Amino acid sequence: MEFILAAVIALSAAALGSPLLQAEGRRFRVSAYASIAALGVAIVMVAANTAYGGSVSYFGRLLVSDVLGDLFALVVLSVSLAVAVVSVYSSHSSQNMPSYYSLLLFSALGMLLLSYSADLLMLFVAWELMSLPTYVLAGFDKKRAESNEAAAKYAILGALSSAIILYAISLTYGVTGTTQISGVVAKVASEPFNPLVSVAILLFIVGFGFKMSIVPFHMWVPDAYEGAPPAVATLFATATKKAGFVAAIRVVLAIATVYALAPNSVFTLANVFAVLAVVTMTLGNVAALTQKSMTRLLAYSSIAQAGYILVGFAIFAYSQQTGLYTYNAVLGMTGSLFHIVNHAIMKGAAFLAATLVLIQLKRSDLDIYNGLAKRMPITAFTLAISFLALGGIPPLSGFWSKLLLFLSVINTPLAWVAVAAILNSAFSLGYYFWVIKRMYLDQGESTERVNEPSGFVVIFAVLVGLMIGIGLFPQQFIAFAHAAATSLFT
Amino acid sequence: MMPVLSILLFLPIAASVPAYLVLSWRKSAGLWFTLAAALAELVIALYVFYFVYANFPGLGHSGLGAYALTEQYSWVSVASFGVSYLVGVDGLSSPLVLATALLTVFAVIGSRKLIDRSEPAYYALILLFEGAIIGVFLSLNLILFYFFWDLVMIPMFFLIGIWGGDRRKYAAMKFMIFIFTGSMILLLALMAAYMGVSPTTFDIPSLAGRIPAPIQYLPLLASFIGFGIKLPVFPLHSWLPDAYTQAPAPVAVLLAGVQSAMGGYGLIRISIGLFPQAAEQWAWAFMAVGIVTMFYGAGVAILSKNLRSMFAYTSIAGMGFVVLGSFATVASGSIIGMQGAILEMFVHAFTAGSLFMLAGYIQKGLGTTDISLMNGLRSVIPRAGTLLVFACVGAMALPPFGSFVAEVLVIVGGIHATPYAAVAILVPVMIGGYMLWMIKRAVLSPPTLGSAGTDMHRVDAAVLGLYFVPLIIMLFFSILVLGPSAPVVQHLLQLVSH
Repeated sequence: MEFILAAVIALSAAALGSPLLQAEGRRFRVSAYASIAALGVAIVMVAANTAYGGSVSYFGRLLVSDVLGDLFALVVLSVSLAVAVVSVYSSHSSQNMPSYYSLLLFSALGMLLLSYSADLLMLFVAWELMSLPTYVLAGFDKKRAESNEAAAKYAILGALSSAIILYAISLTYGVTGTTQISGVVAKVASEPFNPLVSVAILLFIVGFGFKMSIVPFHMWVPDAYEGAPPAVATLFATATKKAGFVAAIRVVLAIATVYALAPNSVFTLANVFAVLAVVTMTLGNVAALTQKSMTRLLAYSSIAQAGYILVGFAIFAYSQQTGLYTYNAVLGMTGSLFHIVNHAIMKGAAFLAATLVLIQLKRSDLDIYNGLAKRMPITAFTLAISFLALGGIPPLSGFWSKLLLFLSVINTPLAWVAVAAILNSAFSLGYYFWVIKRMYLDQGESTERVNEPSGFVVIFAVLVGLMIGIGLFPQQFIAFAHAAATSLFT
Repeated sequence: MMPVLSILLFLPIAASVPAYLVLSWRKSAGLWFTLAAALAELVIALYVFYFVYANFPGLGHSGLGAYALTEQYSWVSVASFGVSYLVGVDGLSSPLVLATALLTVFAVIGSRKLIDRSEPAYYALILLFEGAIIGVFLSLNLILFYFFWDLVMIPMFFLIGIWGGDRRKYAAMKFMIFIFTGSMILLLALMAAYMGVSPTTFDIPSLAGRIPAPIQYLPLLASFIGFGIKLPVFPLHSWLPDAYTQAPAPVAVLLAGVQSAMGGYGLIRISIGLFPQAAEQWAWAFMAVGIVTMFYGAGVAILSKNLRSMFAYTSIAGMGFVVLGSFATVASGSIIGMQGAILEMFVHAFTAGSLFMLAGYIQKGLGTTDISLMNGLRSVIPRAGTLLVFACVGAMALPPFGSFVAEVLVIVGGIHATPYAAVAILVPVMIGGYMLWMIKRAVLSPPTLGSAGTDMHRVDAAVLGLYFVPLIIMLFFSILVLGPSAPVVQHLLQLVSH
């Protein structure tokens, strides 16, 4: 736990210190480098915690250090680091950059604490610490109308989701008399069926669902991603989205181990997750196919990916309710967690590639991607690899997590989810390959080479290396996800 | 012991990057490098083919013992989930590996004159494609198989889409959508196989014969659709005429010659090998699909106005033989049909390959492959014209070409299963009919005034003649393929009758 404290202190210090550099005027890069260093320190500390920290509780059991928390903390901090690095290049208004980095670090701190939360109140505080800075970040291009619109939309829906979560927490407290998650689970298990708990669970799903961007709580996603500064959109798609998943795992899946949503076999948590999964992936993919802007395409693709992740939740809930298919549930949750890691890498690469195109060519419509392979070969290659990985094509990382997810339901009563997910995967390749065709086969408006800054190139190389490397040698990553998944089974 | 199979598998993939670099540096050196890599691969493939012929295990071996060579390493192993790197070769895969290596050498030589832009990427992709296809034939683990199965399509998408004909983008997208949909449906079958046994495994030798019969049916259907799109069978074929006619000729050679064999190989190794009881129950339906495919292919080919589309549909008909022969064996218990199917895949690589390569040279020499615009090829482009006649005879399955043996075996095997299969004999007759009609119109007709063209180079003509060498060898020494494949087929039959 000392390691996590060190990470928290590093992030807090840099977040509080960054605005002090505001007065220095042009030397905004100092705050950028300080933030990058703080995030680097935090990642090292979390990694050290993964290696040496045991499973311990802290602060009166507000925080718990476990493998699940380590996994999420590593993902969200790494993404924040990548965003911090590329933000150096996308700074339109350098004057405000120290505040920008401060907000980014506060959000990262919130996500770090959220990953380890073991108490509903701690979880809510971390949730707000994560969310509030992102509302400002979404509107950071204050001269652009779209950015303002994105910020307003995101803030209103974000506040709504926070209110729903808070209401669910109050209901839970009213029924069980505690905010400690393990206490809630124990209390729920000992009591007979109580519809209020079901209402609370559904409210939790709705509240977290906004961040997870599952249908029908996804409305803000395309607008916010499109309007926000592109680097911030990367943060939304790959980090704050993950926070929704970790919160759902910590709260909803924990209660699901002891509680059925309703005393019948139709309106069960497993079926709720299964239906949400299929609706989310289908709507995401169909909508993505019709988009004309890369940011919106990525936004809808991101929604679709959330649907795949939910498949693991569905089989987990099913196995907990029936006591059957435990093997499948382990596979499914391993797949979900692994896909969350993979999605951060794949979608991060795609968003950063789109960010660079937007910065250099000032456009994000799909036509600008025609012939991109000649103009920005490294960016085009990164985007192509990330699309193939998102489509679940071997030998790339996305294949393995999708394989685990689909395997987990193929021989269960939820097999229809696997069939729907497979057909969705095939369908999604339609628009992924459409973009690859534009980049590699079509003629662009110009064939002039466009500069690709070294910071981006380094990050692209790391991400492409990860996608191919995990695809070829997934052993360590699957083992890590598996360890985190088994910790959910008590 | 040298890991000869892994070398065979990874040599072309590893050579693709240096090939790209050398070609970017100096084109002629790069061409020689690519050819050397393809030839080295051919030498290893010949060695493996010979090794299997000399050492194939007889009947009575099970599991890994039924393969002449295997290599196994742990790949992913987490408490509840395991995937191994397991490759092996037997009488079913060794001829297909050899055909792939041989056709790649021919395609590399054939590309020399026909490909004139972005050569570094082109040859690198060809080598990558070769490695991926060999990976499909060697993999004995379903996930490893699926890795290579999908990897085959990425280079092919770019090969068609960048170097293809006028409608190349359309053809590449259509190819991609069809093939990936098929492979996703195939993945359902592979996953069901994994979950169907306890303890779970992806290794084909451990899965064979262990999946309970009641849960074989849906996976069998899914795998048949997946492989059927690749072969292709009617009505899943509609991507094929576009891809085969738009691909550059050397790529069409590989598409028609070896990529389609992937589908036939998968049908035998996975659809029949893993789901034998269901395959037996439904064999009649699949035989019917095979026969319909044959008649459809040959029937549409009659109407083709273009040489390449005629060859594409001829290739579809050829793949119908593979389906008919394989399932005739499952239905009847006589090994002849499936042996014919295996031989058919081997010889089809060279009959279809020679046809598509010639179509490429004719396109280059005359600027068209429209049959009504071609006449007097005999005197306008004598080398290509003469070779075209030979290639057509190969496709008609007449002696002295081994395709004769293959199709006779398939039809006899079919008759063992049901007398109605005898109608298949009409297909070679139809093929012979339209091929001869085409030869009469295009090759033997008097040249119209002013028709001129550039004939293929002497070297190219000589290399094209090499396509016929394995075909002729297979007429007299078909035992080279049929011998090692007999225990494989018998082993499958034992699984069926369990």
